[in-house]
Amino acid sequence: MKISHNWLKEYINISLKPATLAENLSKVGLEVGGYEDLAVKYEMFVVGEVLERAKHPNADRLSLCKVNVGSEVLDIVCGAPNVTAGQKVPIALVGATIPRNQHDPEGKSFALERAHIRGIQSNGMICSAYELGLGDDADGILVLKQSAKPGTPFSKFLGLSDVLYDMEVTANRGDWLSHIGVAREIQMITGKKASLPRARIKESATLAKKHAAIRILDKQKCRRYSSRVLKNVKLRPSPQWMQDRLQSVGLRPINNIVDVTNYVLMETGQPLHAFDYDTLAGHAIVVKCAEEGEKFTTLDGKERILRSDTLMICDGEKPVAIAGVMGGANTEISEGTTTVLIESANFDPSSVRRTSKYLGLSTDASQRFERGVDIEMTLYAANRAAELIQEFTGAEVLKGSIDIYPKKARPTFVSLRVKRTNKVLGTSLSKQEIISLLGRLELTPAAQTKETVKFRVPSFRYDIVEEIDLIEEVARAYGYDNIETKTRMTVDFSKPLRTNSLQDEIRNYMIGAGFNEVLTYSLQDRMKGHLMADKAVEVLNPVSAEASVLRTSLVPGALTVVQHNRSHGQRDLRLFEIGSVFGLRGEQPGSTLDAYVEEERLLVLLSGNVISAQYGSEHRATDLFDLKGEVQALLSKFCLDKYRFIYYDSASALIESALAVEINGTYAGFLGEVGKSIAQGFDIDGALFVCELRVADLQGGWTTEKKLIPLPRFPSVRRDLAFVVNTGMQHETVARAIREAGGTLLTNLVLFDLYAGDQIGAGNKSLAYSLEFQPLDRTLTDREIDAEVLRIVKHVEATCNAKLRAL
Amino acid sequence: MTEKINQVRVAFDIEVSKAVNVDELEQVRVKFLSRNGAIAQLFEDMKSVPVSEKPALGKLLNALKNDAQVAFDERKKTLSQSQEKPTSSIDLTLPGRPKPIGTKHPLTQTMDEIKKIFMTMGFSVATGPEIETDYYNFGALNFPPEHPARDMQDTFFIAKDVLLRTHTSPVQIRTMEQQKPPVREIMPGRVYRNEAVSARSLVSFHQIEGLCVDRGVTFSDLKGTLVAFAHQFYGKDVRFKFRPTFFPFTEPSADMYISCFLCKGKGCRMCKFVGWLEIMGSGMVHPHVLQNVGYDTEEYTGFAFGMGIERIACLRYGVDDLRLFYENDVRFLQQF
Ligand SMILES: [Zn+2]
Repeated sequence: MKISHNWLKEYINISLKPATLAENLSKVGLEVGGYEDLAVKYEMFVVGEVLERAKHPNADRLSLCKVNVGSEVLDIVCGAPNVTAGQKVPIALVGATIPRNQHDPEGKSFALERAHIRGIQSNGMICSAYELGLGDDADGILVLKQSAKPGTPFSKFLGLSDVLYDMEVTANRGDWLSHIGVAREIQMITGKKASLPRARIKESATLAKKHAAIRILDKQKCRRYSSRVLKNVKLRPSPQWMQDRLQSVGLRPINNIVDVTNYVLMETGQPLHAFDYDTLAGHAIVVKCAEEGEKFTTLDGKERILRSDTLMICDGEKPVAIAGVMGGANTEISEGTTTVLIESANFDPSSVRRTSKYLGLSTDASQRFERGVDIEMTLYAANRAAELIQEFTGAEVLKGSIDIYPKKARPTFVSLRVKRTNKVLGTSLSKQEIISLLGRLELTPAAQTKETVKFRVPSFRYDIVEEIDLIEEVARAYGYDNIETKTRMTVDFSKPLRTNSLQDEIRNYMIGAGFNEVLTYSLQDRMKGHLMADKAVEVLNPVSAEASVLRTSLVPGALTVVQHNRSHGQRDLRLFEIGSVFGLRGEQPGSTLDAYVEEERLLVLLSGNVISAQYGSEHRATDLFDLKGEVQALLSKFCLDKYRFIYYDSASALIESALAVEINGTYAGFLGEVGKSIAQGFDIDGALFVCELRVADLQGGWTTEKKLIPLPRFPSVRRDLAFVVNTGMQHETVARAIREAGGTLLTNLVLFDLYAGDQIGAGNKSLAYSLEFQPLDRTLTDREIDAEVLRIVKHVEATCNAKLRAL
Repeated sequence: MTEKINQVRVAFDIEVSKAVNVDELEQVRVKFLSRNGAIAQLFEDMKSVPVSEKPALGKLLNALKNDAQVAFDERKKTLSQSQEKPTSSIDLTLPGRPKPIGTKHPLTQTMDEIKKIFMTMGFSVATGPEIETDYYNFGALNFPPEHPARDMQDTFFIAKDVLLRTHTSPVQIRTMEQQKPPVREIMPGRVYRNEAVSARSLVSFHQIEGLCVDRGVTFSDLKGTLVAFAHQFYGKDVRFKFRPTFFPFTEPSADMYISCFLCKGKGCRMCKFVGWLEIMGSGMVHPHVLQNVGYDTEEYTGFAFGMGIERIACLRYGVDDLRLFYENDVRFLQQF
């Protein structure tokens, strides 16, 4: 929102410099994003007089001008066809920043340097309206009026002396969307009084009431409708000062009637609308909701389809405006307009917001109504507009305003407790100080006791409804900077602190294990979203197709990361991610959270070589057992022996050679190799191994309480055994048989060699194990161990179709 | 002259320690300790100093000469010993066998550091779901239905009354519903905003919010706690300011700014030449919010605050495109 310094001065005396004013407004919460001082906007630009124009010796289209810029005469090369001697023109001196470059497609600004153009030195530039940012004409130079004096600074010539502030208005303060609103805030800062000028109208003898009938049928959505009728209006451009003012805050001047309504809007914050009275059937205004599906063409020429909750302004027959949003084309002010009906109404904020949202149409009016508009402003604004139109056109203002105000708003009173104020703010303000602070905001004490003050809230501060709102005003008026920054605070330790999180522990572990943590998007495209699950949660209003489905697994995101890295030459990857995945519990998305599954997962990924190429050790490609080993280590660390792997027979296209992981007997996730066709979809040609586990299950298996198991006092004994078995025999079966036979004495079992080859015959393999026996109460004798080993060998040979192999 | 002597001392110390074999050390001796060396030259210069300064300077110079000789002898001993050893068959300059180096994502690191600071102040960590209901995301946080405040946070909808949370504030409500005061919690997590993707804005990002509710908690405490955090996180010398703003769930509300730590407040590209950086939003928890979770608003007051992790990480690491955080280029990740 642009606010003009000069305009503000119509309502309040300001002696603060713009920089100070901007800083002070920000201090009270009206953030000034920046400001532009127009007086310095055209630094290094002056009025010049073209003394001579000659043809450029080396270029047909260029001319060589001698230009008087007051202090000297400059040689300037000019390419415009319309330059002639005797003209007064805007000159940019060397060093000026040209606001817009007409040779740049985006019109970027540039700094003017002394230049040689086709062999002739040019010491400045004659500017077009486009280059100066004063219009769209880029074809020729801007020719100034003949009375302009050479050497006059261009800002001065334009009469520019204003400062424009860029305000960032918060959603609760619709009253700041006007100059009077900002002036009132300055009143709080400086204590100087802010006020609107009185509207002075010369009324005719004809009663307005006799010429227009206004009825509100929907009194909930339209709380007040004030109006003025003006006759003998002459449509022309509004006076230059008003056009300038509107342009300075970013509004395009149209004609004196529309300009006045916009001016009063920017002045008071009250949206106005002017109807061509003669086009209103029955000279009537009826405020009511539209018929469902009714069509209506707005001022911008677009046809809109209305709903039954869209509040409309209608005449005797038809709708003529969408209340609080935009007027209709059918009753628009036009060349032939002679009589005008001014609407100054107050509409329900949520109704306007619904309509504006539904139509996708946000206007200066709707933005203000949505936030709320001072209900006591309608009459003043209508009168003020009538005054200005009368002043500009000599129009006849009919006697009396028409003001339909079904339920007059009663003034708001809010009580404030001094003690409570200090309790919230940590201040020690007295009642008197509070009354004086709030007085600057026109909050006046209506009644008070020793401890409590009842304030009357002015109608423009409709945001103040309860005590905390007043406390905030006290804080703003007192100044946040003046509230103590207390560095001592008591902390209640009656509840234990929750400090340890499994996620943090896992992260630290994975980093120690040499993995890079990644974070990927949780909104994905449909292909990725459905890669690992049939049902996925979709967003109803996605910003793009790439971000329309919530991830059902961390795998697709990880594949994207691999894809990116491989395409940038990084092939050896060790990655992990902890993040939430989402799903539907049933078939359909429901309106409660029960309908959705949301769970945190851990993803681990290996790809490329186990270790990067180096001397002295062979580098090899990662395989499934590298990943299994990493996962095993992780699970052993956090879940001790509460996990196990389940081996699938069938592999899917997604994950080949998959293993399921169980923790405490429940499925916690899987690990395996990503299917070739899936990987190819991500342009990945090498093998890729992933593991995805549910964090909740890891949490369930997480063993934080540990008790010491006494270290053995007697020596343990190791024996190695190798069995020849059929290739189809699984290690797990053999190992189980060894453990069964070994009982509690066997405390450790390691597969240390796996061999297949000529020595043991085709169709066979050799599994070599190292066994460790640990007695608790004695030292084992050789005979005892031999007997133990023999028992194991016999059991394995019997159950696994195995043969002991001599080592 | 004193300065000259000290310069020679420093230069000598550096060169002696740099010498890695006896030959190199010999060159150092020639340069400093020989008849025409730097120290001899200093004795030569002594002749031209005023008599009054001679005793003090002479002492200084003699000390230098002695120290230099001792240092030279010791270094020579060390170097010749190591060279006497039989040459090993091992080439010790071979590189160590590389191990993969794990890294924590820069966003996690930033989040962890913030968490750690608040945990030392007695805050616990709480989390909540990313798919939320309208009630927890807006209603309970005092966003009236049909209010423009809802436009402050463009929302992704999943179904009627179900959405992707736009801030971590719903966790405030869930936390307070589950426990009575005192409450001191921080709430890190992922949030979603329906905005066009660019270098400066993504459809999802991370936040950390904090909540402190107890008897006697004031706006003064809010300022004190957040300033303590800022000094810990951004450095003891940053200046700060609090400016009024609007959030539906806090009143009074404040944006916190710190002086730009890059330019120290003079103005630079990072702070858009204003010298200040907005680092978080905060405020006193609105009584309606406390009422919604059944707290006695007369007895308890509290403050809340929130900050965007991506923004903070951008400032800290000098990242100017948010998308880098989610591309996960390992050459990027391994820098942190
Ligand atoms: Zn800076």
